[in-house]
Amino acid sequence: MLRFICRQLVYEPFRSMLTCVAIGSAIAVILLLEGFHTGLLVQLKNVSLNRGADLIVAQKGVSNFIASRSLLPQLSREAIESIEGVKSAHPITSVPVIYEKAGYRKSPVFFMVFDTGGGPAVIKEGKTVTKPRDIVIDESLAVLYDLKVGDDFIVSDFKFNISGIAKQASALFTAFVFINYDDMIDFFFDSDLVGDISNLPLLSYLLVELQPDVDKYAIAKSIEAIETDADVFLPDKISQNDVALGETLFGPVMGVLIGAGYIITLLVIGMIMFAAIHARLKIYGVLKAIGFSNKSLINEMVLESVFIIILAFPLALLIAQSGAWLIETRVPLYRVPIFETVPILRTFFSALVLAIIGAYLPYRFMAKLDPAIVFRG
Amino acid sequence: MLYWSLKTLFSEPVRLIVSALAVSVSFLLVVFFSAVFEGESDKMVIYLEKMQADVWVMQKGVSNMHMASSMLWDWKADKIAKLPFVKEVSAILYFNGPVKIGGKDWFSYIIGIKPQYQRAGPWEISKGKRIPGVGEVVIPEVISQLSGVQIGDEITLVDRPLRVIGLSRDTFSMASSVVFVSHEDLGELVKGRDQYSYIMVYANPGISSQDLIKHIKNEVDKVNALSSEDFINSDRTLAMQMGAEIISMMTIIGTLLATLIVAFTAYSLINHKQQELAVAKALGFSDGKIYIASLFQSVVITAIGLVLSIVLAYTILSWLPTVIPQVNLVVRPHQFISIASIALPIAVFASFAAVRTVIKVDPMTVFKG
Repeated sequence: MLRFICRQLVYEPFRSMLTCVAIGSAIAVILLLEGFHTGLLVQLKNVSLNRGADLIVAQKGVSNFIASRSLLPQLSREAIESIEGVKSAHPITSVPVIYEKAGYRKSPVFFMVFDTGGGPAVIKEGKTVTKPRDIVIDESLAVLYDLKVGDDFIVSDFKFNISGIAKQASALFTAFVFINYDDMIDFFFDSDLVGDISNLPLLSYLLVELQPDVDKYAIAKSIEAIETDADVFLPDKISQNDVALGETLFGPVMGVLIGAGYIITLLVIGMIMFAAIHARLKIYGVLKAIGFSNKSLINEMVLESVFIIILAFPLALLIAQSGAWLIETRVPLYRVPIFETVPILRTFFSALVLAIIGAYLPYRFMAKLDPAIVFRG
Repeated sequence: MLYWSLKTLFSEPVRLIVSALAVSVSFLLVVFFSAVFEGESDKMVIYLEKMQADVWVMQKGVSNMHMASSMLWDWKADKIAKLPFVKEVSAILYFNGPVKIGGKDWFSYIIGIKPQYQRAGPWEISKGKRIPGVGEVVIPEVISQLSGVQIGDEITLVDRPLRVIGLSRDTFSMASSVVFVSHEDLGELVKGRDQYSYIMVYANPGISSQDLIKHIKNEVDKVNALSSEDFINSDRTLAMQMGAEIISMMTIIGTLLATLIVAFTAYSLINHKQQELAVAKALGFSDGKIYIASLFQSVVITAIGLVLSIVLAYTILSWLPTVIPQVNLVVRPHQFISIASIALPIAVFASFAAVRTVIKVDPMTVFKG
């Protein structure tokens, strides 16, 4: 039977190629949507992990690093650094602002204000913040606003100078830019905002760096004991919380979209199998005339369908990866990782199931096929 | 020849329906993205719309509510209230962030209201009280349905437990559900008890928003004032722009997929009808006429796919939020314009694959077995 299927495929190479491309593209849509979903969660996961802390201290009750407002007492850094086993506590603050540039659209941006640690994880071009008014922007802003190292970056009439471009520093459809504390304070004063802010959001989180070989759980307890207005998290835990928030936000929509992708794939496979039967009516007539049962013919269809999926899947990966590359190059605000084990396996096995269902779709047509068709003109 | 084209297509209705359905689902995927972003964008500005203020006053340098933070001293609301032309003011403290309800974080617009500014509270209540006092909260009805949290239950806002006293309608969105708490609770939390985030100004009859804005900016330092229309547009545009690239990418993906599906259908149809085409050629029909027939088939499949996608969009997509209340979808005619404008090129492009087969049809085929 397998040989028969192979011969069918080789007999009409253009048709076989078109079939593989159509099914491969339908599967690629699922892979892209899965990748998009995974990318949103990976970005959320990395926000806290990329800060390079052993422990993260947040305002009591705040359990997320992103999309949360955390305010720590300003003296907490000193108190935490006095705990034995703590090497240092790096302050970090996130401030949402809207970036505008003439002739371009508006974008929400997160100012990530850092001092001695927690700055950009990977700098693609240029260097980190070293002098006053330096700013490191995410690569998506560089692409969207045609910005490069050395250009001005103006927010609320306050002029920064781009010293570097960070790689993959964004989450929740929002790019991050990195500045230092002195510039944030200057920004608040120069922008004439400070008069209305009773409490400048100077300290959102503390990124705690520990001495080697210390018990991080014991130190976390000590920090919570000394700083009663704070909660302490392992970076993994706070990143899990961010991912859970992302799932609450995007899960339902992505579920419906991926579901639509599966429906398309099922319809495409069903359509292709239907067309395949139609094109080979006479052959099936011959097979029926020489005694092949409906069951054996449908088994052949299922096997063929599964075989096509196996052939089309690498193509699907290639198409999806090309699509992902295009998206990430043109709009680096998004990440679309395709080669993630769980989504790939899930998509592959789902595609096999769809192939089996798709092969059964034209079953009635096949069952009603009259063997006498072989003798007609 | 066109009649032959149509007859061939409709002689195999199952194949035609499956092909058109596959094309329509590809189109639907594109519409779905756009509907999600429009639905969410509409919900993001619903609070601003429902307040029906003439002018919104906020911190200088701020011109949005979505993804923004604004702080103003509370005396500014009193000062604005005393200005001529001003009929009434209302003010809120606001921040956006997650609220833990039923053990899950729900990203929300948290609105802190004072008893004297009841106008700033929820506009429709399905159950319970409307205005929260200290230690109380009004949550969206949809979150209550999804989380099982009812009136009298506790939720957590950062570090403080709040008791649910009311369920509001029309306030749920994935990215910006509106949760109402007392100004006192939120003020303590954001260390802004003497502050507001936004002041809503209602003008006396006959006073234009622009006059009012000018007046407010002259009289009150360090504020930005925007007409309600500009403020709403600014937020809606920002929200829509955040999804603009995704919508275009999905349009490209959906289009490519639809092209392939149409191409495959047209190709397999023509391949299947090779003998009939050979007869047509033998009878003297030119290649051009056969090309047009093939193109016509692609156009018909694409058109049926497009019509089906419109029908599905207005039925399934409109029904979906009743089953999945987390998803706000808005289907509008303009969402189909881009699809309609690319449908014809799809048909033309897709028919190329079929045309390649037509060229190769040998009139002698008709005499073969």
